[in-house]
Amino acid sequence: MEGSDWLDRLRYRFGSHATDSETGSWPEWYRNYRVTLAGRTVSPDQLLRELPIVVLDAETTGLQVTRDRILSLGALRVYGNSIHLAEKFEGYLPTPPHHTPGDSVAIHGIIPNSRRYTYSDEPTLLAELLDYLGASIIVGHHIGFDLEMINRSLARHGAGPLQNRIIDTAQLAKRLRPAGYWTPEGEYSLDSLARRYRIPLSDRHTALGDCYITAVLWLKLLTRLAIKIGHDLHLRDL
Amino acid sequence: MPNQVTHRVCDFLKDIEPFSYLDRAVLLQVAARVEVRYQPPGTVVFRPGEPPRDRFYVVKEGTIELFSEDQSGEELLVERCGEGELFGIRPLLADDNYVFVARAAEESLLYAVNSEGFRDLIGNYPRVLQYLLASMAGSTRYARAYRAATAKSTAPAPDEVTPDLQALQFVQQSREPIVCQPEQTIIDAAKAMTEAEVGSIVVVDEAQHPVGIVTDRDLRRSVATALVSRQSPVSAIMSSPVVCIGERATIADVQIAMLRSGYHHLVQTADGTDRSAVTGVISEHDVLLAQGNHPAVLIQEIGRAKSPHYLRELRDRAEAILAGLLDKEVAISYITAVMTQINDAIIRKSMKLALARMQADGHGNPPALFDWLALGSQGRGEQLLRTDQDNALIFEDVPKEHYNAVKAYFLQLADYVTEYLNTAGYSYCDGNMMASNPKWCLSVAKWKAQFSRWMHDNTAEHLLNTSIFFDYRGVWGNGSLPDKLTAHIFAEMEGHSTRFQASLARAALQNPSPLTFFRNFVVERSGEHKDQFDLKARAMRPLTDAARILILSARKGNINNTFLRYEALAKLEPQNAQLYQDAAEAYEVLIRLRAVLGLKRGDSGRFVAPSELTRVQRLLLRNSFAPVREIQQLLELRFQLTFLR
Repeated sequence: MEGSDWLDRLRYRFGSHATDSETGSWPEWYRNYRVTLAGRTVSPDQLLRELPIVVLDAETTGLQVTRDRILSLGALRVYGNSIHLAEKFEGYLPTPPHHTPGDSVAIHGIIPNSRRYTYSDEPTLLAELLDYLGASIIVGHHIGFDLEMINRSLARHGAGPLQNRIIDTAQLAKRLRPAGYWTPEGEYSLDSLARRYRIPLSDRHTALGDCYITAVLWLKLLTRLAIKIGHDLHLRDL
Repeated sequence: MPNQVTHRVCDFLKDIEPFSYLDRAVLLQVAARVEVRYQPPGTVVFRPGEPPRDRFYVVKEGTIELFSEDQSGEELLVERCGEGELFGIRPLLADDNYVFVARAAEESLLYAVNSEGFRDLIGNYPRVLQYLLASMAGSTRYARAYRAATAKSTAPAPDEVTPDLQALQFVQQSREPIVCQPEQTIIDAAKAMTEAEVGSIVVVDEAQHPVGIVTDRDLRRSVATALVSRQSPVSAIMSSPVVCIGERATIADVQIAMLRSGYHHLVQTADGTDRSAVTGVISEHDVLLAQGNHPAVLIQEIGRAKSPHYLRELRDRAEAILAGLLDKEVAISYITAVMTQINDAIIRKSMKLALARMQADGHGNPPALFDWLALGSQGRGEQLLRTDQDNALIFEDVPKEHYNAVKAYFLQLADYVTEYLNTAGYSYCDGNMMASNPKWCLSVAKWKAQFSRWMHDNTAEHLLNTSIFFDYRGVWGNGSLPDKLTAHIFAEMEGHSTRFQASLARAALQNPSPLTFFRNFVVERSGEHKDQFDLKARAMRPLTDAARILILSARKGNINNTFLRYEALAKLEPQNAQLYQDAAEAYEVLIRLRAVLGLKRGDSGRFVAPSELTRVQRLLLRNSFAPVREIQQLLELRFQLTFLR
């Protein structure tokens, strides 16, 4: 158990400087993803509103990155100030057999192996996600956890980690209103930020529902940051 | 595969017109293609001149303001769209660029609805089309073009188009007409009618042109009572000339013709006159069969009424007919024609009752020829609901020594008439513009003098008097006296037309532009004002006033109806035809809206609280304001009021 965790971490660390032997063992879909990514370099001087953004969220069986697994992935594209619902990404995975449904069911409401969803398998879902992401900038709330879950999943299937530029809306919110006496650390949860920026909290804890809330939060935070900085936001401003 | 976010969008849209007309499954498809657009405060959604890129907007949160820009670049607030309201739809359907600036008044979230799929839906959902047409009616040019363009696609499902335009359906060609020659005997004609089991026979000449008609009633009246021999030619008892109507006549046309002529049978001919061959006969019975609730029945009943209380009851029933017609969205020209006939019938009945009362009181018959005039909206034949009475009486000139006695008789008569009308539900006029007022019950000579004074001395009161009085119409009496007055007015106007007309025009512009209404409307919603909107003074009167002044300056005094006035003006000034047409359509919308509101609330419908309007009504009302403003500008230019002010 401990050993595989160590191996995962090693793989993850070497992900961005992949050796030839590693590259050779990558599945085809991941190699394609890397090719797409290599073809697109973003300059820090580019205007943020001109860049392709994907807001991402993962629902999992729990919060232990070593033990828990992804149950569903949701993503929405944002261009400029628009969220395109037609270009959503949504996928569900069956609950792994050794996982007893616990508290997480109460959180995300995904009943294990419910017939309401069409399930795919992990490699297919990952391949579709990478295809959807392309070279977009990934935006998410406390996105570090979701990324870790996805990267571990990628590693389990012989692929390297995600290489996209990442922006965390929690960090953005913190930058806009730093934690301190008036704003305790817990105030950067998606719930409290949504409340602060008056975003209705419907469909919380579904991958796509959280994505939508995060996407609106992202647009609202950006506007406020642009006002604070005093000019249109470029990539380097973040 | 619809997801939670799509469902959430769908839930929001489903209560909003026109999405409310769509089935859930279809709405989900629409929702799945929505773009959620975030607008920070002060940011622009679109600008004038930009093409609408296959989308229109629904405000999810926040407020979007639409501004028009005048030449100097100054912005004028046109509309404020709050949560659940649509904007940016007209340019899209009209294939036109945006004309307004849309800007977020506060942080807003919009649903940009992809119109590509939406356009396809229109064919399957006529109510969506209706909504869109209503929302575009502001520039009726587009509505017309659009209607023409989509007529084909909506045609296959006529049953689904909800307004049941029964009155506009064509009358069924009932049967092969039964005809006879004028020389044939009455008994032969009666035999032919019995054989064919019909109630009328058309008398025709060699060319099959109708020269008369004989009905069951004629036979009963003359032959059965042995007044005329059965061997006499039918020409002895036939009604002649006949009232003809074209083959493509609608039920509405037939009803109007019957109401006007008082005849119960119309002859259909190839070209609608008695100079072409007979093609059919339409009886009142045919119309009754075609349409259950017949105003003519009511008018007959009014004729039989013996008390003003019963008149009130009948007028209440007329309101049920009105409600039905409005509900079916029957053309307003038809509705006003029917209601004017009913109102006129009640005035005539009141006059008959009053004359009988004068007899009973021992005052005898009228001592001189006279005419009873309907003024204001009833004078123009545009009164749908019972409003205040506006009437006057004019009698022929009599020797000076008799004048006072004659006037006293007519004042007493007018007292009775106005009392009966009041009982019937037409309340007394606040301004006392009634024939029972000594100032409004005059001989021809005195009326002329009074008119001249009004025209020379343009006080506000005089201008109001003239404006009411220009819309007069003789309802009862000799019929020749109003024309004498009209002739006098036009002779007077020759003398000092410019100043008088300019004064009238200026008075017509006293009412502020109704566009401010929507500012008030917005304020009202945020709770600072509770003002109602005066439909009559702010929107309708500017249109009727303008029509009157323009028609007066065109020397067409005999046209006393706003629609007919605009129609005539459009012919006189082809360069302004579009504006006049738009003005007439706006007036139609306003008349209809006022009647619908008045019926709902049981009052005159004059004042409206914006909150009681449906979204479509608000749109229609807003759109009717553009022609009001344009026509006011035209008056200003034409009468050079900018210099006078």
